[in-house]
Amino acid sequence: MNFEQFQNQSRLYVIGALEPEELDEFEKAREKFGKQAEDFISKCYALHEAFALSLRPAKSSDAIKDRLMAMVKAKKQP
Amino acid sequence: MKGIQAGDADALSQLYDRYNGILKALILRVIHNEAEADDLLQEIFMEIWNQAKNFSEQKGKPLGWMVTLARRRAIDGLRKKQAYARAEERLQNETEQQPDAWVHNATEEEIVLGDTRVLIRKVISSLPPAQQQAIELAFFRGMSQREIAAKTNTPLGTVKTRLELGLKKIYDGLKDLKDEL
Repeated sequence: MNFEQFQNQSRLYVIGALEPEELDEFEKAREKFGKQAEDFISKCYALHEAFALSLRPAKSSDAIKDRLMAMVKAKKQP
Repeated sequence: MKGIQAGDADALSQLYDRYNGILKALILRVIHNEAEADDLLQEIFMEIWNQAKNFSEQKGKPLGWMVTLARRRAIDGLRKKQAYARAEERLQNETEQQPDAWVHNATEEEIVLGDTRVLIRKVISSLPPAQQQAIELAFFRGMSQREIAAKTNTPLGTVKTRLELGLKKIYDGLKDLKDEL
């Protein structure tokens, strides 16, 4: 697998769309390309942000935040 | 995020105010149920609070980390609650009525909003509908290539090509928006 093919696979990988039989080869290429591969995969996660930001924000119940903050205050961060 | 890592509840409150709408929209897109989405949103922010120590700025921005976490939880939640079939049915109905949900949702109101969302949607809507659909099913439904192929009655190789081409176009298109993401 060359780096361009690895880039294509990386974009599928970050959205969980690689098939099981593709994962082995992907992981081997990931190891082969080392830091260059890790840096590219990190950049691909911008796709996650983009897909979320492409949606119109949805309003949530005010009670959700109240419950959340009550739970947080009742339980110190581990 | 540093405040949350330090155990500052006010920092979580601010983070919630800033991002709850985005995360709720993402969850809703996956599970299609308002009450379940609210419950899951609360659980996700609790997980953000509990797992904040695992966040590293070197690996990306807080929103990316939260979206990844929220998407995983939403897809897990969908499957665990065995609501998959029901949501599938809803999605089927929606898909029949709106073959291209992303494009369909681009209302006049959105067009006038000169924000990041509109710019991103412009990039996404430049894709052929088949590529958008493949990405939608993979990202928002957590479907594998084989599941997408079966659902859309499309050869597996075609699904893979659609995903690769579509994601590359979006990725390249996002480079221009990098500073805003």
